[in-house]
Amino acid sequence: MFWRLLWKLLRGSSGRLVVAILALVSGAMVISALLNLEFDIERKLTQEFRMLGANLVISPGHDAQINGAAPAALMNESEAFAAIQSLKDPAVVAAAPFLYIVERAGDTPVVVAGTKLEELPELEPAWRIEGQWTTPSRENQIPCIVGRNVVRQLHLALGSTLLLSYLGKTTQATLVGIVDAGGAEDNQVFMGLAEVQRLAGLPGQIGLAQLSVRGTAKNISEYAARLAAALPSYEVRPIRQVTEAEGDLLNRIRLLIGSMVVLILALTALCVLATMAALAMERRQDVGLMKALGGSIARIVALFMAEVGVLGAAGGFVGAILGIELSRWMGQRVFGTAISLRWEIFPLTIALMVAVALAGALPLRLLGKVKPAVIFRGE
Amino acid sequence: MFGRLVRESFVRNPRRKVLVAAALVVGMAVATSTLTIALEVGDRLAREFRSLGANLLVTPQADTLPIEIGGVDYRPVNEGAYLSETDLGKLKTIFWRHNILGFTPFLDVPATIQQSENSDPILAMIVGTWYAQDVSVPDGTKFKTGLSVTHPWWKVQGRWFHDDANECVIGSALAATMPGVTAGKVIYVTSRSPGDSAQGQPGATQAIALKVVGIVSTDDAEDKALLVPLAIAQKLSGHPGQFRQLFVSALTKPADTFSERDPLKMTPTEYDRWFCSPYISSISFQIKTVLPGTDVRTIRRVADTEGRILSRVGTLLWIVTLAALGAAALAVAATSATTVLERRAEIGVMKALGATNSLIAGIFLAEQLLLAVAGGAIGFVVGAALARSLGASVFGTPASPRLILFPVILGIAAIVAFVGSLIPLRRASHFNPAPILRGE
Amino acid sequence: MATLVQVENLRKEFGNVCALAGVSFRVEAGEWIAIMGPSGSGKTTLINILGGLDMPTSGQAIVDAIDVGRLDESGLTRFRAQKIGFIFQQFHLVPYLTALENVMLAQYFHSTTDEKEAREALERVGLGDRIEHLPGKLSGGEQQRVAVARALINHPKLILADEPTGNLDEANEETVIQLFHELHREGHTILMVTHAPSIGRLADRRIAFAHGRLVEVPASLKTSL
Repeated sequence: MFWRLLWKLLRGSSGRLVVAILALVSGAMVISALLNLEFDIERKLTQEFRMLGANLVISPGHDAQINGAAPAALMNESEAFAAIQSLKDPAVVAAAPFLYIVERAGDTPVVVAGTKLEELPELEPAWRIEGQWTTPSRENQIPCIVGRNVVRQLHLALGSTLLLSYLGKTTQATLVGIVDAGGAEDNQVFMGLAEVQRLAGLPGQIGLAQLSVRGTAKNISEYAARLAAALPSYEVRPIRQVTEAEGDLLNRIRLLIGSMVVLILALTALCVLATMAALAMERRQDVGLMKALGGSIARIVALFMAEVGVLGAAGGFVGAILGIELSRWMGQRVFGTAISLRWEIFPLTIALMVAVALAGALPLRLLGKVKPAVIFRGE
Repeated sequence: MFGRLVRESFVRNPRRKVLVAAALVVGMAVATSTLTIALEVGDRLAREFRSLGANLLVTPQADTLPIEIGGVDYRPVNEGAYLSETDLGKLKTIFWRHNILGFTPFLDVPATIQQSENSDPILAMIVGTWYAQDVSVPDGTKFKTGLSVTHPWWKVQGRWFHDDANECVIGSALAATMPGVTAGKVIYVTSRSPGDSAQGQPGATQAIALKVVGIVSTDDAEDKALLVPLAIAQKLSGHPGQFRQLFVSALTKPADTFSERDPLKMTPTEYDRWFCSPYISSISFQIKTVLPGTDVRTIRRVADTEGRILSRVGTLLWIVTLAALGAAALAVAATSATTVLERRAEIGVMKALGATNSLIAGIFLAEQLLLAVAGGAIGFVVGAALARSLGASVFGTPASPRLILFPVILGIAAIVAFVGSLIPLRRASHFNPAPILRGE
Repeated sequence: MATLVQVENLRKEFGNVCALAGVSFRVEAGEWIAIMGPSGSGKTTLINILGGLDMPTSGQAIVDAIDVGRLDESGLTRFRAQKIGFIFQQFHLVPYLTALENVMLAQYFHSTTDEKEAREALERVGLGDRIEHLPGKLSGGEQQRVAVARALINHPKLILADEPTGNLDEANEETVIQLFHELHREGHTILMVTHAPSIGRLADRRIAFAHGRLVEVPASLKTSL
């Protein structure tokens, strides 16, 4: 009979329950969406703070001298890259060698960086390019990409031929791409590493290597430590990490969003509570009648609490589903990528809704003490 | 009579009203605080971001190509163009002068350092700059700017140099290669390419004695350099009153498709809109106007990140604010609806006495509106206080309450209470008073 | 004959208002008593106390040898379930339960449900073909008959009816009064509050109330023998 009653309760008074159900569902929706967002926000914001580009540098070590335009101390290219290969870490997005020399284009000295052109788009996704990053190299047709300042100074254009000379040796390169890096690279020319090594007479040598590694600051330093262990004579250093100031700002933004979320959660809970209390009030007639018929308080209260509990669970369930969808939309809208969904939100929201609903129905317990006569008198 | 009815209705049964009032107050408080914060946060965050680095670089247009490797410019001092220090005050005269938070000139001089007059010279780069220089602005005021404003994350062990003293700060990497050099020690600096500049002044060929007052960690190329006051670098290189590059820190609005357009191709109204918005493109344009012959470049690494975060956080906050408003509206609507439902008996009695539907609706709505206004007002005060403390704990300075929100909040409260009551009132208008009077 | 109900100096005050100002009377088992008087005279209060819905301020109300005034909450609950059958003016059926379920509800609160018994109870009041109907689909008279079936299902010692025909039209009133006749003939003890003299005349005795006091208490027809 209990279940029959419960079923009839839920079915029969659907009109009165509409507001309650609406409140439960929307409350659950808001709560689950915001909770999902809150859990993921740190990761997302940290990602945003990390400036795009290379974040790890392998260099020849502390004794690098600064002495004018000659190249600094050098590293062995194959040694460095063998170490990177051996670690085989999937977090490494890109790795490129760099050898800098100052060549002359006519009378103008210009910094030329020898590197692997095909690695550059992965290494520096923030760079904008007009043209292409590289083309297949042919005899006497060495492709190069040029920073926009150089293009402006030397009056170049896509397809121009650059004649670069270094200590007597010359290179003829074709401009296949113009780079807008928004930084020092706008003043540089990038060419295939082999050609620069030939010009400088430094086969197999590089000045440094830059890597782009995915992950948190902790992951990156761990990888750097492992790489440094594999390359004891070189220096491996993370660069462009989230600085202390940035980290602090990040935390404060999180605090702000977090506080707002808490406020909204409290409000939603209050709303659900109020609606449930109103529902409980509506039940007074039924409670009074059942008491008059000799129903024990325990049984009556259990019945109505069960009703409220089922409502809370059902509302929480539906709301949580909607909320997860909502947070997906929110993630897309704000960050452009999907927010990761935490499945713990589901049971958490349902439990929360049930708890709040039961808390709101507490007046029912108090009704257990009220004399039925009072209720029949219609107050 | 209507007023009396409303008053009586309002005063009766305060217990039930408490719940509605609570929902209203809390709802409107949350709405107020989130709105206040959302309106302010853009500005606040932008200001915070300025501590992350300068976002504009000004260089001479007629300059030759910088020979920059690893952030250090290796050009000899007599090569390339220079900018004049005296023009810098004009930066605080542009339309967006209050958004120019600071600017710092740099002059790199290849030099040698000696630990004593006769010891071995060590090759090093000298970077001349300002730490906290007073710049004269054409309107007569003085503006303090320099590394202290544009590069606040450069941490120094010891202290920074005074811009008019013979002091210097040594980069941590450079200090590591010169173990004898600590704070308080005097070193001797000589230029490696004494200039014969356009002014015809020979650069200093003798050593200049500088007292090391601090060791700086920049996590950048300057760790390998010696930082000196700009005046010293100018003396060394024989270029008084000049510098090579200027880093500017400006409060900007995130770039969008509109801001990226070519100003020459805009209509006059579009141009005004662009000019009067603190886009990085329009600020750059205004800088170029007061500093002719310069090339103003956005340091995209900083500006892009900042723009991205600002727009993301902004969107996020507005979405959260929307959620807050939605929750607030829901709270008010739900409690209004349940109140009307509860008072079916009253409605029945009134109908039996011959009250028209519109009169009943009028009384209830008036009552709800009164509640809404009262609750909204209290909610506004609570919300403003909330926003203040939130702003204080997050940004250090409390968010000031926007009085313009007051009518907005009241309006929202009223509308929501109105709408929330409307549907049950419509249903109530169909009530047959008889069953109610009979007590069913 | 056994005394089923004994009321001794019963007082009930609601704050400053005195609803019952010292009432005393007895009811024999099997009697049909009509409690009459103007509204506000305390009739309903008396019924509520006798039915365990309210507690007296002072005095005694003994029903089937149980002092109702001394029962605790759970005692009252059991008392109501086992000893009393209520019939209200407003029927007070649960609107979302069928006629059958409304009767079974009373069984549920007493002990266990017995659908067959409930069905028979409804057949006995002439609603055999209406058992699956919701109260909204029943006429006033039919609803009251369901209430009667509900009141009887647990074989109560005392039937308390508060203006049972107050909400009914003449035809339905007739039907319900017939039912009460049958109950009386079957030996049930009925205390009925009514203000209609026509109904009062049908009862064995009339007890008149005014301002919380009894006006006249005629001796029991049965005890006078």
